[in-house]
Amino acid sequence: MNWNKKFLRYLNFNVPLAVVLLIIIGFISISSAVEINHMNNGALRFLQKQAVSVVLGLLVIFILQAFDYRIFKEYAAVIYAVMLVMLTATIFFGRGVSGGAHWISIGAFNLQTSELSKIMLILVLAAVIDNNSDDMGYLKGMFLPSIIAFIPFALVILQNDLGTALVLFFIYLVMLFAGGGNFKYMAAVFGGGFLLVVLVITAHVTLKTPLPFLKEYQLNRLIVFINPNIDPHGSGYNIIQSKIALGSGRIFGKGLFAGTQNQLNFLPEKHTDFIFSVIGEEFGFIGSAIVILLFLYLLWQFLNIAENARDRYGYLIVVGVMAMFLFHILENIGMTMGIMPITGIPLPFISYGGTFMLTSLTAVAIVINVNLRKNKLMF
Amino acid sequence: MDRHKILRIVILLIFIILLSRAAYLQVVRGNYYYELSEGNRISVRPINAPRGRIYDRRGEIIVSNRLAYNLYLMQNEIPPEKTTEEILTELSNLSSLTKSRLLSNFHSAEVNTAAEPILLARHLSKEDVVIIAENKDILSGLVVKESSLRDYIYPEQLVHTTGYIGEINEEELISFTEAGYNYRGGDFVGKTGLEKEYEFYLKGKRGAEQVEVNSRGEKIKTIGIKKPEPGNDLILNIDFSLQSAVEKLVEKKYQKLRNLAEENEERAMPTGISALVMDIDSGGIISSVSLPDYNLNLFARGISSSDYHKLINNPLKPLINRNTMTAVPPGSIFKLVTGTAAMEELGVRANTSFYDSNGTFYIPGWSRPFRNWNPIGEGKMDFVKAIARSNNIVFYELGYELYKEYGGEMLTEYAEKYGLGSKTGIDLPAEKKGLVPDEEWKQKHLNQSWYPGDSVNLSIGQGSLLTTPVQIVSLISAIAADGLAYKPQIVKKIKNSEGEVIKSFKPQINIDLRDEIDSRVFEALKQGMYDVVNKNYGTASRHFNDFPLSVAGKTGTAQTGGANHAWFGGFAPYEDPQIAVVVFIENGGSSAYSVPIAREIMELYFGFKNRNNLQDKLYYYQRKIINQND
Repeated sequence: MNWNKKFLRYLNFNVPLAVVLLIIIGFISISSAVEINHMNNGALRFLQKQAVSVVLGLLVIFILQAFDYRIFKEYAAVIYAVMLVMLTATIFFGRGVSGGAHWISIGAFNLQTSELSKIMLILVLAAVIDNNSDDMGYLKGMFLPSIIAFIPFALVILQNDLGTALVLFFIYLVMLFAGGGNFKYMAAVFGGGFLLVVLVITAHVTLKTPLPFLKEYQLNRLIVFINPNIDPHGSGYNIIQSKIALGSGRIFGKGLFAGTQNQLNFLPEKHTDFIFSVIGEEFGFIGSAIVILLFLYLLWQFLNIAENARDRYGYLIVVGVMAMFLFHILENIGMTMGIMPITGIPLPFISYGGTFMLTSLTAVAIVINVNLRKNKLMF
Repeated sequence: MDRHKILRIVILLIFIILLSRAAYLQVVRGNYYYELSEGNRISVRPINAPRGRIYDRRGEIIVSNRLAYNLYLMQNEIPPEKTTEEILTELSNLSSLTKSRLLSNFHSAEVNTAAEPILLARHLSKEDVVIIAENKDILSGLVVKESSLRDYIYPEQLVHTTGYIGEINEEELISFTEAGYNYRGGDFVGKTGLEKEYEFYLKGKRGAEQVEVNSRGEKIKTIGIKKPEPGNDLILNIDFSLQSAVEKLVEKKYQKLRNLAEENEERAMPTGISALVMDIDSGGIISSVSLPDYNLNLFARGISSSDYHKLINNPLKPLINRNTMTAVPPGSIFKLVTGTAAMEELGVRANTSFYDSNGTFYIPGWSRPFRNWNPIGEGKMDFVKAIARSNNIVFYELGYELYKEYGGEMLTEYAEKYGLGSKTGIDLPAEKKGLVPDEEWKQKHLNQSWYPGDSVNLSIGQGSLLTTPVQIVSLISAIAADGLAYKPQIVKKIKNSEGEVIKSFKPQINIDLRDEIDSRVFEALKQGMYDVVNKNYGTASRHFNDFPLSVAGKTGTAQTGGANHAWFGGFAPYEDPQIAVVVFIENGGSSAYSVPIAREIMELYFGFKNRNNLQDKLYYYQRKIINQND
């Protein structure tokens, strides 16, 4: 079809290039983490399932280009309604692992609804902020986006999925800032809120005051990175083992399939949450640095695309997607290095996990969509 | 400044932080972590929590724990030049542990990381503990940890109530884990009795010690300790000094009845016996005996399969708690229920008069005779005397009248009001609910409709009616307290290891007929039960001669096709009821054998008989010696 060719002239090829490289690194690390070299029964299934998600995601990338991204703005109300219904349904009908109800079954698929809500929130928030752009410097303009973000945030908290809730919050924060939200108010409210949280937690730990909203184990996971020895059997153990894995990779790494921390099963959740530790152990600082720089490169391209977007709506979408990836990267890699709390959110394009791979590729699809339609004169 | 520029700067900063941290861990500290990963290891060794203890109502300890040692394998502490198999072979050569057993425990263990302990052997002998300690340098990766072993102070008493423990099975592991509890393969859990009912209270929480070990598996330093939480203690309603005396008494009588039956073929051979003493004001079970039983020590270390098969295949079923898991017809005790229905629905009063002309009752229009236990007609009597005499003819008539007036459902409805046909909710697992047959049940299971004969049979507690002794104690207690009965309850409260009460069981009303049923009904029934024991014509009077307190009760001899079941249910004192007592002898022949046991239990309870009677003691120890020589 000839409109495809016309589009391709505007494509920023750096984005697909970085994504493909990261996915390839992901497949190699998952192979090592599930011990495919040990002829482990079922190890191959992990790769197959991951490959299916990648293929589905690529399909989404192609199909989505047939529509103009502005259609999402027209249907923002519908998207929002679907998101709320989906999240509420998961609370009531969802099935989950270890205490959280994150999954909803549709036929043979287990859909992690909170993952999809990340993209939906970006699309809806961009529309709302764009519509209120004249008032964003005032409280009244910031009010609606805040309410819009708060409801799904609360629903995800009710699912016991603290990690995703933090992602949603970060997306909201960055989009509000990029959308022209009044910086003084934001600094006062969120800085004050952060101080309050720190105060409540400190009071709980030192004076044993009651803890609102959080369960004890969630708090433990949040603060254990400050001193892993407070919970040596649980989360603290994970942090210690992860730091040993990363550090012991030294500059050049122990080599693929040769990481002892990985292969001897010291690392927990190593094909999902702690995949970066596997990379660090087997490919050393060189490997870690390549992955970190690839992510930086990708996000930098996102910011370029945002700057050249045809309209403010497109700009805000791309910034939102950028924020989502940024938080995942910072939180996941930071957690494996012991500088961020453990929240169990995956590393984009690399961690094993179907729904998040699909979410990530859909997010890329939307960014490409904005990219391809950057010059309005061409249409 | 342009906000987009600020975003770029923030992102740059974040990535610089990540990159510097990676450089710090991998380049600056790389060698330290490399050492740690190759030479030294971090291990998390278990610290076991002792199971909660069991005390009687006076604080006397019944079940405790003693120190034992478990052997664990820490895979991550094995040096690279050795294999697990080599170490286990070495261990089996040195100690009494067999290699096949060690290997099978090793292979069946499910651990997620090499730093998790694998249970290789439980309750090591002292010799093995010493051998493993002395050969530490060869046996790397093996860690001996303290654990606890159930210590039964009285391994042959309160057996069914306490219940036994055993290794957790697959099903339990899955369901307990799903319920959010932290269990592992190899854990011991309650399988029956209180041990099962209160498993999650008794269990406690495992602790852990995080240690740094060197390449030879030696501990260099402790990094962190999570203290174990001992299980919670159960305080029972059981009065152990009474329990112990009742148990000796019942055991003696049971043996005597069995010996007599062996000598005389005409006599019934009892196959089991049980006795219950319940506090009427709270439902607290003060004493609970069920025989035959077994020795709890058989299970403390995990029972051998040959011992277990012996217990399972024993025709006398020693594992069954006859108080809650045996449901049989109650016989004439059920006349109390028929009597209630007759007074409420047919207008019968205490002095309503009846006539038994020849000891036989015919349903009008049917030819089958229903007979009294006494073949000679007993003549004229009022309702109260009919209870005292346990006259079948009168109750056949009442059963038939109820059927004629209201159909078969009326009597079953009254049985259900007294809690028959459903579990009492006593805090023991596997309680049977028994059966109150009705039209629907009969149609479904026997494919027959309900005949008048069914009602007549039911009126004296025969037919398909099934009750457990604990249901009967509840029935007796309801009548004694004029229509109010509490849920039978064995545990009084639960304390944590620091001695704080964490749960206290308040009496819970199970049966409340005070508004529904006229108090005159209970008066008449109690009068009848008083006469059973105290009037010279009462069916139990012979055995309660010159008893210092006034007792009331009801006998029951239930036909089974084989030997009759013997029942007695009573309460005392008559004027101000404190306790309800039920004695049940499976295939005991006649209530003439259950009544004297009940009398002696009451003597023990009220202190008319010394609980530590010398003769009883002698008999007990003789029997113990005989058993040991078997």
